[in-house]
Amino acid sequence: MKVPVSWLREYVDFSWRLEELARRLVFTSTEVDRIVRRGVPDTGDNLKHFVVGRVLEAGKHPNADKLQLTKVDVGEAEPRSIVCGAWNFGAGATVAVVVPGGVMPGGEFTIEKRKLRGEVSDGMILSERELELGQDHGGIMLLSDELEPGTPLADVVPVGDDILELETLNNRPDLTSIYGIAREVAVLTGGELRPMPGTEPERVADEPLDIRIEDLERCPRYIGRLFGDVQVGDSPAWLKARIVGAGMRPISNVVDITNYVMLALGSPLHAFDYERLAEGRIVVRRATQGEALETLDGTARELDPEDLVIADGERPIAIGGVMGGANTEVGESTTSVLLEAANFEPLTVLRSGERHHMRTESQTRWEKGVDPELAGAAATYASQLLAELAGGRWSGEAEVRADVHAPANIAFRPAYTEAVLGLEVAEAEQRERLEQLGFDVSADWQVTVPTWRARDVRREIDVVEEVARFRLEDVPLTLPRRQAMFGRLKHEQRLRRGIEDVLVGAGFYEAYTYSLQPSDPDPSAIELPVPLSSQQRLLRTTLAVGLLSAARHNVDSGNERIRLFEVAHVYLPQQGGVPREPWRLGGILQGDFFAAKGAVEAVFSALQVEPRFERARPIEQATVGATVQSGWVAQYGPLGLDGEWSAFELELDELFMLVPERVLYRDVVSYPPLRLDLAFVVDEGVPAGELAAAIREAAGEELQAVRFLSDYRGDQIPDGKKSIAFAVAFQSAQRTLSDEDGARLRNVVVEALGSRFDASLRA
Amino acid sequence: MDSVAAMSLDDANWTAYEAGARAAIDAALSDAELDAARVAWLGRKSELVQALRGVRDRESGMLLNGVRGRLETAVAERETALQQLLWEAAADSGVDVTIPGLPVERGRLHLLTQIRREIEDVFLGMGYEVWDGNEVATVWENFDALTSDPGHPSRSINDTFYIDSDTVLRTHTSPDQIRAMLARTPPLYMVSPGRCYRRDTPDATHSPIFLQVECLAVDRGITLADLQGTVLQFFRALFGEDREVRMRTSFFPFTEPSVEFDVTCFICSGRGCATCKRSGWIEMGGAGWVDPDVFRNVDLDPDEWQGFAFGFGIERIAMLRHGLPDLRAFWENDLRVLGQF
Ligand SMILES: [Zn+2]
Repeated sequence: MKVPVSWLREYVDFSWRLEELARRLVFTSTEVDRIVRRGVPDTGDNLKHFVVGRVLEAGKHPNADKLQLTKVDVGEAEPRSIVCGAWNFGAGATVAVVVPGGVMPGGEFTIEKRKLRGEVSDGMILSERELELGQDHGGIMLLSDELEPGTPLADVVPVGDDILELETLNNRPDLTSIYGIAREVAVLTGGELRPMPGTEPERVADEPLDIRIEDLERCPRYIGRLFGDVQVGDSPAWLKARIVGAGMRPISNVVDITNYVMLALGSPLHAFDYERLAEGRIVVRRATQGEALETLDGTARELDPEDLVIADGERPIAIGGVMGGANTEVGESTTSVLLEAANFEPLTVLRSGERHHMRTESQTRWEKGVDPELAGAAATYASQLLAELAGGRWSGEAEVRADVHAPANIAFRPAYTEAVLGLEVAEAEQRERLEQLGFDVSADWQVTVPTWRARDVRREIDVVEEVARFRLEDVPLTLPRRQAMFGRLKHEQRLRRGIEDVLVGAGFYEAYTYSLQPSDPDPSAIELPVPLSSQQRLLRTTLAVGLLSAARHNVDSGNERIRLFEVAHVYLPQQGGVPREPWRLGGILQGDFFAAKGAVEAVFSALQVEPRFERARPIEQATVGATVQSGWVAQYGPLGLDGEWSAFELELDELFMLVPERVLYRDVVSYPPLRLDLAFVVDEGVPAGELAAAIREAAGEELQAVRFLSDYRGDQIPDGKKSIAFAVAFQSAQRTLSDEDGARLRNVVVEALGSRFDASLRA
Repeated sequence: MDSVAAMSLDDANWTAYEAGARAAIDAALSDAELDAARVAWLGRKSELVQALRGVRDRESGMLLNGVRGRLETAVAERETALQQLLWEAAADSGVDVTIPGLPVERGRLHLLTQIRREIEDVFLGMGYEVWDGNEVATVWENFDALTSDPGHPSRSINDTFYIDSDTVLRTHTSPDQIRAMLARTPPLYMVSPGRCYRRDTPDATHSPIFLQVECLAVDRGITLADLQGTVLQFFRALFGEDREVRMRTSFFPFTEPSVEFDVTCFICSGRGCATCKRSGWIEMGGAGWVDPDVFRNVDLDPDEWQGFAFGFGIERIAMLRHGLPDLRAFWENDLRVLGQF
């Protein structure tokens, strides 16, 4: 919302500096993006250089066919000689002049006395565009001949204005109008708010007008007014200046008036060329299947039965609240106008706007919810202006409206405000604030909400906010007075941090990859019905896909020693309801299977869980793979990336279930261990891990550690067999193990492995 | 030693003994030589110790103990001197200490994780629990229970990823407010960091996937002043002890009153710079007093329980604090970027 300050001042008196006003509005009402200047800068005495001039002489420039050479009286002793490029005036015309020293709009360019093709030009005659008042219509701006030369231009033309650029919140439709902002400014500054503008013009006839609303829910009010003898033309400069200042484009007086009143009061209007209305009727209804409408922007639109349309006797002539149709557009030949001042329900307008990909000034207001009572005020004000500025004669009116809702009445406790803010606010202040905002407050604190706030103030807490927002700057800084303190990380949260730190310590970088991926190995992965792109269409069931593309990105960037991990959710579809979202740990790294396996072992070791690997092909592209409790490890086959790559993924909550509640001390200090290296010859198919597990099981309590040393094939080992060597340590917490103990334990192990795996001890 | 052993018990001889011992001690060039000298002149079988054993009168005792004390000091001094010589010899070997040490491999936590943990720790310190919320939410959790208007634009399929008509990818972390209040009996103090999703086309400041941190406090007598004090602690922890905060009016469906928080610019300390758009204040995000209807939606009595809530963007905090211009960098996982933090 762009608010020309001169316009604002028309509705409210205030003495604050603009910067201060903007600063305070930010706390109480609306964001203020910035204050900008439209038109002539108001710095120093710059405005003095802009004056009314009367052209005394005008003729062709002696040295240039396209230029005029003029003498202009600007109220000084001698007329000034000015060269001008426009030809829409002659001697006697009253014009706007800037004399040397004047700084033009934008602040970049200063007018200087200079020679143009040999003739002195001692100033410049101005056009509307140069003053940022609108587009040029082929020449300079002509002023009323009643004006005296030398009159300050600012007294007769809005040469410049300060513009407040606001960002109105969604819950404040009342702040989408200058008058609504003025009401807020009046409360804030204590300035006086003037009555809402608009007085009814004389009504010259009582022509019948047929208006029907078939959907009162979507259009609870429709006022139609007829105007004859309308003269469509240019708007006066002041009106254009305001329209431009508010960020819109002047079009014609009739259209500008509807826009002006919308900006002033917040209730959008529309003007139809009445003669082009079939049967001269208005029907507000849903569109029917197959109906179409070319809107004012020149686009032909297929209408949807959900669209609310304004129709005449035959066809749609507007999409309600969104945009009018070209078929009834007001143009130069229009002489009779049907003015629409209506009310549309927000959701209908929102959906139509979405459906047709449109965004108009009126739409943004309807979407926030406009006070239906404003339609009447808007009709009045627009009628006044149509009569004054377009010669319109008011010749008929009809209105249809739904039942009026009684204004909300809310029981309010001033103490509630203090409980919310944590700040004392005097009852008198609360009452005064509410009354200034237009609320009616009874002696026993029954609060009646004004119609323009009916949508967002419905409950006691909403009333609290109305008082509270004016005191936000005074709220103290406290902390909750706690009766209980119980903040700590949950077990699994601590473990998650722990394994993240282990991996970082092991040289891994943590990655964040997208939850939505272009592909997923699980065909049942949830697919978004309307994805943003094909690259982000599936809710992943594994971290591997994203990590692989992160690895690729790093290879492409020329990075080396790539090791990435991620801790994040995956999304596993479930029967009915939302998917299950377990936490996963995924990793990818340069190196073979054993590189990834080492990382997984480090994680398990940190968690005090003994990993058990079993050969498997856990993922599609794996050449070597294994499952481990809660996940998998694999070496990728060719990926089109240099070298070998491996990956792993673990489901953390499952893994955390295996973590021992507490670790008990074992005495490994008091008595020395007894160490043996044992090598067994076994069939090729026997996994080393199973041999180690069997050693552990056979030796029982006295086994302190068993560590894989090597596997060997070749000399002295028969074909189809291999030799696997372990370093084994026995230890007792009660005594020093003797050589006899060593021999006994060794025999137990050898026998166990012999009977289970047909293993023979290698000499 | 034989010559020494022959000496008699008079002052002059002991002066010579001491001088001889000193010469031997000072001549030692290694710990072994020093030890040999010590054994010869101060050891159990040395002339001095033998003589001490035979001492009967106080005067001789003082004399001999004096000699022994001085020589022991001399040994200790020589020992220190020898060590010094060793250090000097080693330092002379010309090692270039500026050459890098043996590499110890080390990775990095992602910057967003570092910040998330920092935030968690601030709130853990204030007695909050950390909540892990699902990213897929029901429409009820994400919108309805938070009293979002059925016509609110954020519900549109242009803004929100729907899985079906009842299920969305959460558009904010606020559904965790609802889940936490349903799962716990107040008092309830929680923060919930996590991924959120909106249909924004990716650019430098927008991403369809982003991180938020939600904070919810529910207790008796919670005020906006408590909210402001809490946010102050939070921002001071993240942006420095000198920071100040302010609240501006705002609008969110699930808080009433709703406010927007600003923090004083930590780059220019409020004087005005490009980061704070010359205002001295940086916008941090939305917050407010929990709307009584939200409590009603989770069967809590708003007359008994009050609360505040906020949701701030984690990327925004990271970008502001570390000067990253483009949030897409967070999702590219380039080691050259990750390695900086
Ligand atoms: Zn700054």
